[in-house]
Amino acid sequence: MKNLKKKNLIILFLVVLGLALLINLPLRSTTYMVRVFNMTMITYLAVLSLYVVFGMAGQSSFAQCGLMGIGAYITANMSTKWGFAPIVGMLASMLGTALFAFIIGFALFRLKRFYFSFSTIALMTILNGIFANWVKGTGGSMGMGNLVQFSVGGYVFNTEIKYFYLITSFSIVATIIIWKLFRSPLGRSFMAVRDNETAASCMGINNLLTKNIAFAISGLLCGLSGSLFAFLSGYISATSFALPQSQLYLVVIMIGGSSSPIGALIGSILINLLPEWLRFLKDYMMLIYGIGIMGLMVVLPEGIVGGGKDLYAKFIKRKRSRVDA
Amino acid sequence: MIVQLIVTGISLGVVYGLIGMGMVLIFRAVGIVNFAQGDFLMLGAFICFALNQKMGMPIWFSFAITAVLIGLSGIVFQFVTYWPLRNAQDKTIIVSTLGASIALREMTKLIWGSTPQTIDPLKKGVVRIGGAILQWQYVLIIIFAAILMGLVYFLLEKTLLGNIMQATAQDKYAASLMGIPIVVAIGLTFFISMLITGAGGVMLAPIFFITNTMGVMAGVKAFAAVVIGGFGSVQGAIIGGLLIGLVEVFAGTFVSTTYKDTVVFAVLIISLLIRPQGIFGEKIAEKA
Repeated sequence: MKNLKKKNLIILFLVVLGLALLINLPLRSTTYMVRVFNMTMITYLAVLSLYVVFGMAGQSSFAQCGLMGIGAYITANMSTKWGFAPIVGMLASMLGTALFAFIIGFALFRLKRFYFSFSTIALMTILNGIFANWVKGTGGSMGMGNLVQFSVGGYVFNTEIKYFYLITSFSIVATIIIWKLFRSPLGRSFMAVRDNETAASCMGINNLLTKNIAFAISGLLCGLSGSLFAFLSGYISATSFALPQSQLYLVVIMIGGSSSPIGALIGSILINLLPEWLRFLKDYMMLIYGIGIMGLMVVLPEGIVGGGKDLYAKFIKRKRSRVDA
Repeated sequence: MIVQLIVTGISLGVVYGLIGMGMVLIFRAVGIVNFAQGDFLMLGAFICFALNQKMGMPIWFSFAITAVLIGLSGIVFQFVTYWPLRNAQDKTIIVSTLGASIALREMTKLIWGSTPQTIDPLKKGVVRIGGAILQWQYVLIIIFAAILMGLVYFLLEKTLLGNIMQATAQDKYAASLMGIPIVVAIGLTFFISMLITGAGGVMLAPIFFITNTMGVMAGVKAFAAVVIGGFGSVQGAIIGGLLIGLVEVFAGTFVSTTYKDTVVFAVLIISLLIRPQGIFGEKIAEKA
């Protein structure tokens, strides 16, 4: 009991400390760095969506960036072209993308493992083709510019710092919901499907529907991420939503560790902030990064979080065995 | 017109088939999907560009040297991405090949810059076949790809070396008990796989511009070819490649050039829905 209280206190302390840091962070950084933080959080939301479908349900999807694009274009059309309130556009993006993922999931999830991955590559390429060529709906290769700023009831989010608070609070809410999902029966059924489909269906889980729901939830997050991206950057085009970007998200979650949202966060921070710190490398940055991924997979095949857990387990075990002896 | 389109489609298709064959060879040998295959196509085109344009070697000579060099780089690739991870999970190896793909793309960009380049065609001029005017390049691609495919088939099915590679692919442990050096067999597989992919790159280079991202689309289309044909089947990869090539060319002409890739991948999804195991695939075996 006492232990529990102590643990709760520590967690409370950490949360307060983290919030204080988060609130202070943009005030002490340049506008440019705040922009980088904002992009980090948007990447994080996209990678979090991959955590649901890949980390929890075990389906490696290469279509996340395409789903993000759907969200971004829905927002752009709704709020800028047709003049809906931005918050309506955002909700429509989330629901629209989730619905799209849910429906397309019925087709794609008839396939398993590698075959599913390939079909998502195909989906990604098709979506990118549509983004780049459908002039009426997406502005074609010109993209869509001059998008409206996000606003709620007259309060306009017109600076990077305001966006930082907006995006960060969305990310925190999303993380808490995903954390709850992890402990819920639905989340457990995702993991059952990931680990063994035959066993899962023996337990009365509908595999197809479960995977579809996972894909739809990831679509919801992608829609949110894409919508925020559209509001933040004010300009979207097909080049932002292409296959290499989707592959990058998969790499990010593998670097961070696909076993928890923390892995997604660590991966996103690394991928966005490292280029800023390693400016002096210039053109060599991406090359070193590619080689680094290969090296990291050899050293930490379970990602940074997985590697940290292993280390922790080793440390605890050593301590325990010492007590036993 | 139709004959021209068919020849163009087939010549693109055999190149996709070649890359797909390379993927299948690797998949059969080690059970992983290589996401950097398309980038070896790009690397092949660039090496040939360096030999042909920068050093002024004749195209045939540089073609041969490129093929060997790419094969050797395949062995290096094997030792870097696959061998240290051979006991790890699939997803780890896949991400490792994704990393290799990024590294290769950036390396070529650093060495040769990002301006689109081009190389000499294998033979200039046109050939007339029954009223249709065809570029020699397309005709030669088909001939060459057919020869390469025939050689690989002969090597795999009719020689001792092929038996060694197939035995390793089927059961590594049993193969090692028979005295087969696994690492040599796998290395050889990667050598052949990359060799045919690089050759495909050299053949495609005069048709498209050489850029450091040319491999992405070609690689993805080769995936599509492999999946349509049936994963793990060499002849399936070739048939799938031909199908993809023909669909691409015909969609580009009769539907719209901008949507041709969209049509290609729509065909992939449709074929996956109708016959998920592919044309030559058996009922999906849960390999790897």
